[in-house]
Amino acid sequence: MNNFTETEERQALRKAVYDFGSKYGHEYYLKIAREGGHTNELWDEAGKLGYMGVAVPEEYDGGGGGIGDLAAVCEELCAAGTPLLLMVVSPAICGTVIARYGTEEQKQHWLPRFATGEVRMAFAITEPDAGSNSHKITTTARQDGDDWVLNGQKVFISGVDEAEAVLVVGRTEDAKTGKLKPALFIVPTDAPGFEAQDIPMDIVSADKQFTLFFDNVRLPANALVGESTDTALLQLFAGLNPERIMGAAFSLGLARLALNKATEYAKTRNVWGAPIGSHQGIAHPLAQIKVEIELAKLMTQKAAALYEAGDDMGAGEAANMAKYAAAEAAVHAVDQAVHTHGGNGLATEYGLGAMIAAVRVGRIAPVSREMILNFVAQHSLDLPKSY
Amino acid sequence: MTNIVVLVKQVPDTYSERKLAETDHTLDRESADAVLDEINERAVEEALKIKEAGEGEVTVLCVGPDRATDAIRKALSMGADKAIHVSDEALHGSDILATAKVIAAAIGKVEGVDLVIAGNESSDGGAGAVPALLAELLGMPQLTYAHHVSVEGSAIKVDRETADEGITHLEANLPAVVSVTEKINEPRYPSFKGIMAAKKKPVETLTVADLGLDAGEVGLDNAWSTVSEAAPKPPRTAGEKVEDDGDGGTKIAEYLVGQKLI
Ligand SMILES: Cc1cc2nc3c(=O)[nH]c(=O)nc-3n(C[C@H](O)[C@H](O)[C@H](O)COP(=O)(O)OP(=O)(O)OC[C@H]3O[C@@H](n4cnc5c(N)ncnc54)[C@H](O)[C@@H]3O)c2cc1C
Ligand SMILES: Cc1cc2nc3c(=O)[nH]c(=O)nc-3n(C[C@H](O)[C@H](O)[C@H](O)COP(=O)(O)OP(=O)(O)OC[C@H]3O[C@@H](n4cnc5c(N)ncnc54)[C@H](O)[C@@H]3O)c2cc1C
Repeated sequence: MNNFTETEERQALRKAVYDFGSKYGHEYYLKIAREGGHTNELWDEAGKLGYMGVAVPEEYDGGGGGIGDLAAVCEELCAAGTPLLLMVVSPAICGTVIARYGTEEQKQHWLPRFATGEVRMAFAITEPDAGSNSHKITTTARQDGDDWVLNGQKVFISGVDEAEAVLVVGRTEDAKTGKLKPALFIVPTDAPGFEAQDIPMDIVSADKQFTLFFDNVRLPANALVGESTDTALLQLFAGLNPERIMGAAFSLGLARLALNKATEYAKTRNVWGAPIGSHQGIAHPLAQIKVEIELAKLMTQKAAALYEAGDDMGAGEAANMAKYAAAEAAVHAVDQAVHTHGGNGLATEYGLGAMIAAVRVGRIAPVSREMILNFVAQHSLDLPKSY
Repeated sequence: MTNIVVLVKQVPDTYSERKLAETDHTLDRESADAVLDEINERAVEEALKIKEAGEGEVTVLCVGPDRATDAIRKALSMGADKAIHVSDEALHGSDILATAKVIAAAIGKVEGVDLVIAGNESSDGGAGAVPALLAELLGMPQLTYAHHVSVEGSAIKVDRETADEGITHLEANLPAVVSVTEKINEPRYPSFKGIMAAKKKPVETLTVADLGLDAGEVGLDNAWSTVSEAAPKPPRTAGEKVEDDGDGGTKIAEYLVGQKLI
């Protein structure tokens, strides 16, 4: 069994990032989100400090750390009230896929700028008819000379307006068999024929979601990730564990933020001559949430440790469970934090009402709660599949 | 090349509850989270700026118990090059005179020091005297309460700012001792690379004997002042509420006069 204490460096990183995020704080975040703005200065400053590039290999000017470090950064920023949703997508999914399967040219081009946070890349897999069921993806690339021509549609893609490019999961015809198989493309957001429409969402977030249209988007040969389409499936799988670990970290940080607000309030709010936190009706649910958070955090750390040790399969089960548990903890934490605050729980000043929808995202994306339970039922319990 | 020593102290976090130990009235360091004093983060920042503007080396120097390594590590993760940690049971309860002697002796271990940077006062002891004592012991000029520092060749210029005297422009030849105020700069956050590099940087740990000092010169028993009694600050009272019936201003003025504030 490994050590249950994080390394000194990891702890120092958490502390530094939390302090850094706190300088901006939740009020700053909510103000920007409500005005429809972006937290660019926060992202850029974090990038300069190397926090966005902790997991980029050292040879590409990154921190040379692992997904556990990146997850720690993500969690601490959320806990400080300054969630950066694109961390789940840009450095974690896109950065990992390119670092593991990109051509040397692609690595040289993108990774040093992932290391500094200078570049943000969105990730597009979901389609109107292919959410939970990604086998139904229809976005298709056709080869035309050396070029690729992309057609299709994506939905709910985060942060496209902040991104220089989108990593698009499409399909292409296998040269030999003629069957459609997956292929990943890096599509610049200013490519002709590419259009992004923002989707009105009832989430208070500084990052927006978009519907994407690809209308004969012409891409050079080197837009395809890797030397050929042969590794596309592996590329997709490579992104899954980081995505889930980061999703878990994101939820964990928000859960901590809500629990912190609730405990602070429960210590000071006095209704019958004693702080409300002294009533077990208030204290016990908060204690339960603390337990849920610690358990989810432990599973997230386990998933990261297994992933870093190269055990992709073992990490898969842990990462799914961590993502599930963290999302549930966050939903419960916000629900209880709102309730602990009484009327103030829904007052704009306390910023908790704004979190109700925000933590629900963790149950839906990047993979829904039910799809995780399906995974556990089939892989961990060996139960038959219904779909 | 400017060879800089920054004096850093580990203090109880000002956000946590701070207590004195019941037995000997020294600071109960176990009861609160220990952090690098914020003013010392600013001192480190200033040293790093001077180094980055030209060439230099930054050594952090800390006198404190074993756990002060955390404060040292923080300074190293910000970018300081190496550290000296004076740690010795005999130092427990040392007064400012002893602390300054120990620091002076430790600075003697660093070759060719050009500049010593300290905070103007710590957030726990708060004597605000170490930098001056140290300058005296080292025979160096002291430029205290700096809110702006610039090194030009072998000279140093400081804008000194105090509430009583306003701004004074000071200038001296190096080597010198500078103490900085809260206003000097915004300290940087440790970068990821800084954090990863910190553990590999050299930290020299010294005892009182290593410094050629006698244990009889330091510690609680040899302090020039003793604390005979200590009581916690009484809790804040609810204060006085004044209804404003159009005469609020007068009532405030009366209150201030009553407190001998105006
Ligand atoms: C804020 C936000 C940001 C997002 N960002 C991105 C992004 O950047 N990139 C991207 O590609 N996508 C993104 N998504 C999309 C997200 O990944 C999908 O919404 C998610 O995968 C669910 O797909 P769907 O919406 O099509 O739901 P559906 O697949 O239609 O599912 C609807 C419901 O049915 C349930 N369900 C479906 N199949 C089963 C089954 N077999 N068994 C039991 N229950 C089932 C689901 O759990 C869900 O509750 C984002 C979504 C949101 C809300
Ligand atoms: C009742 C009482 C009990 C005490 N008990 C203890 C005790 O048990 N253990 C203990 O360590 N102290 C103890 N002290 C505190 C100690 O005597 C002083 O804190 C110390 O001498 C330095 O004084 P200061 O912090 O007030 O320095 P100041 O003059 O206010 O500090 C100015 C600057 O000097 C530098 N500096 C000061 N001290 C150090 C240091 N140790 N290392 C590196 N740089 C430094 C820093 O740059 C600091 O910003 C006690 C003080 C009192 C009043």
